[in-house]
Amino acid sequence: MADTPVRSMPVPAEPAVFSGVTIALAAPCARWSLRARDAALLEKVTGLKLPRKIGEVVGETVCLGPDEWLTRAPAGATLPDGAGEKVAVVDIAERALTLTLSGPAAARVIAAGCPRDVERLPFPYASRTVFEGVEVLLQRDAEDAFTIEVWRSFAPWLWTALTQAAADMEHLPA
Amino acid sequence: MILIHCPYCDEQRPGLEFAYAGEAHIARPADPSALSDEEWERFLFIRANPRGRHHERWRHIHGCARFFNAVRDTVSDKFELTYKAGEPRK
Ligand SMILES: [Zn+2]
Repeated sequence: MADTPVRSMPVPAEPAVFSGVTIALAAPCARWSLRARDAALLEKVTGLKLPRKIGEVVGETVCLGPDEWLTRAPAGATLPDGAGEKVAVVDIAERALTLTLSGPAAARVIAAGCPRDVERLPFPYASRTVFEGVEVLLQRDAEDAFTIEVWRSFAPWLWTALTQAAADMEHLPA
Repeated sequence: MILIHCPYCDEQRPGLEFAYAGEAHIARPADPSALSDEEWERFLFIRANPRGRHHERWRHIHGCARFFNAVRDTVSDKFELTYKAGEPRK
């Protein structure tokens, strides 16, 4: 008999609501790390359209490096693994989780712990960077909408740091 | 904060995203077991350590994750230029 997988979430399921920003845990999803020297071959294997510029986002696919992409899909989705081809398609669904930050103060809250010039980031845009010493994948989807993907074991700290920044921000002039 | 130009991302990124990785252009000997102890010591430990213009490896570890090379002034800490790994010494 197969064991039933148990997923425990290291951050609260309830969104944290502040004036100007809401921080919430996104639903679990499928994630794959894609590596290949030949992007066209990787496109052929996966059927995905791959952005070629680092930071660029096409649909749910992000170009992370010159030979590295991340793609996401609803939980339970599948992707061809490209066995035998010179590509690497690795399931990393459970490695990370995603927090969403939405609202007019979202950029300022992220800027509290991130050395990027967050308010001036274009969108859509995604890149690895750091937040309070923790590596994250920061994505901007709209003027007021960001997601932060982080490895699970760092998530409780990231949640604490973000909600503390958001709470502090409520006391600052807009 | 110091800003470093990543030649792969092709933009200025905060220094916190990068890791230093030692002097650049030090080729690993093709046949290590043919080396004398002195030659092996020179490869492992002996570095130029200049005062001024220094060729060094950096890694955009919290970004595109690529290694690249940089010329940095060890006195002023100013980056003169950065270029991709594999390109000739500049
Ligand atoms: Zn880079």
